[in-house]
Amino acid sequence: MKKPYHDLVKRLLDGELRLAELPPDLRAEGEEALRLLGAVDRTPVTLSPAVTSRVMATVRERTRSPARRAWRWLVTPRNVEVRFRIRPWLVAPALAAAAALVLVLARPQTPVSSTNVVFVRFMLHAPGAKSVTVAGTFNQWDQNAAPLIPAGTDGVWTTTLALPVGQHQYAFVVDGRRWVADPAAPAIDDGFGRRNSVVAVTRQGARTL
Amino acid sequence: MASKDAATDGEIVRAVLAGDVERYAVLVERHRDRYARYAVKMLGSHDAAEDAVQDALVRAFDHLGECREPEKFAGWLFLILRNRCFAEHRRYEREARLPEEAAGSVAAPDRSDGAMERRERAGALHRAVQELTPEQREVVVLKHVEELPYEEIAQITGATVASLKMRMHRAYDRLRELMKEHV
Repeated sequence: MKKPYHDLVKRLLDGELRLAELPPDLRAEGEEALRLLGAVDRTPVTLSPAVTSRVMATVRERTRSPARRAWRWLVTPRNVEVRFRIRPWLVAPALAAAAALVLVLARPQTPVSSTNVVFVRFMLHAPGAKSVTVAGTFNQWDQNAAPLIPAGTDGVWTTTLALPVGQHQYAFVVDGRRWVADPAAPAIDDGFGRRNSVVAVTRQGARTL
Repeated sequence: MASKDAATDGEIVRAVLAGDVERYAVLVERHRDRYARYAVKMLGSHDAAEDAVQDALVRAFDHLGECREPEKFAGWLFLILRNRCFAEHRRYEREARLPEEAAGSVAAPDRSDGAMERRERAGALHRAVQELTPEQREVVVLKHVEELPYEEIAQITGATVASLKMRMHRAYDRLRELMKEHV
């Protein structure tokens, strides 16, 4: 059994030290270690151009399937622009009609907001961060929609959001580029190697899963 | 020609999502080889790497609407490919076998003429790397093949720099043991 490399030799391999910086009695071990890793093959790898044809053939096949097309249309986020053209003289009668409609339709009902929306506090300890936001299924993963604000000077960032009852996945975005799962909550794999936190919002409150 | 398209990855992702499916070929051409070396080193064979990259590109298309940051399509694709490589390893473990080209011993060369010895040592190291755990192998590949600093590897993998160093240092010792006949 070959004995483990000395810690200084490992630092040499990590690029933190040079061979000349090793104590003389470790130089031979250092040279051996460098020779070992010197055999690493960094030749660039080129894949067959047929990969492109095969991927595109599969993609086209999937696009032709009506069920897949419908699913894709449903899950793809899109911007919707709504434009109004109004004639000024119509504004007053339209408002009057709307008010009348509200009076007719308004019946005593349980206000939706008080029972189906719960205030949830998000908090992240991110000392040194310049900005922190929270993005999730509740805001279509828009990383600018919900900024956190610094609470005091110890690097704690916080915000409170009104979330509908249900299960939501979320993650924090630090400095506009680094996605961070909530360390205070267990995270689940999003299927692409990243971790999302999950919060379950019930009428009794919110809890992380 | 697809590869001459000057649009950014984000613009192409948005165009594909809007229905211009053929533009996806630009992303495939642009990124097809980008992580091929990583896949070869992780899976131990060119064929397995080609399959993995192809699957990752199809999977990326299937889930394009979930790409949070279209401008960072390449990084997102890497995560999909990385998942695919680790899944493939779990399959190898279940089936208790090594990737095809990695199978075989890490035997010492019989001859010592320079070029031949270097080639044999490189081959032996390649096979020795395949004997590491997938987590150790990944850090060796990203640090010593892709030549990324620990900080960048931490960003990609979500691990801390300290745990990456620990993994790497164990890998050094294991490689020394596996390569004892070659150094």
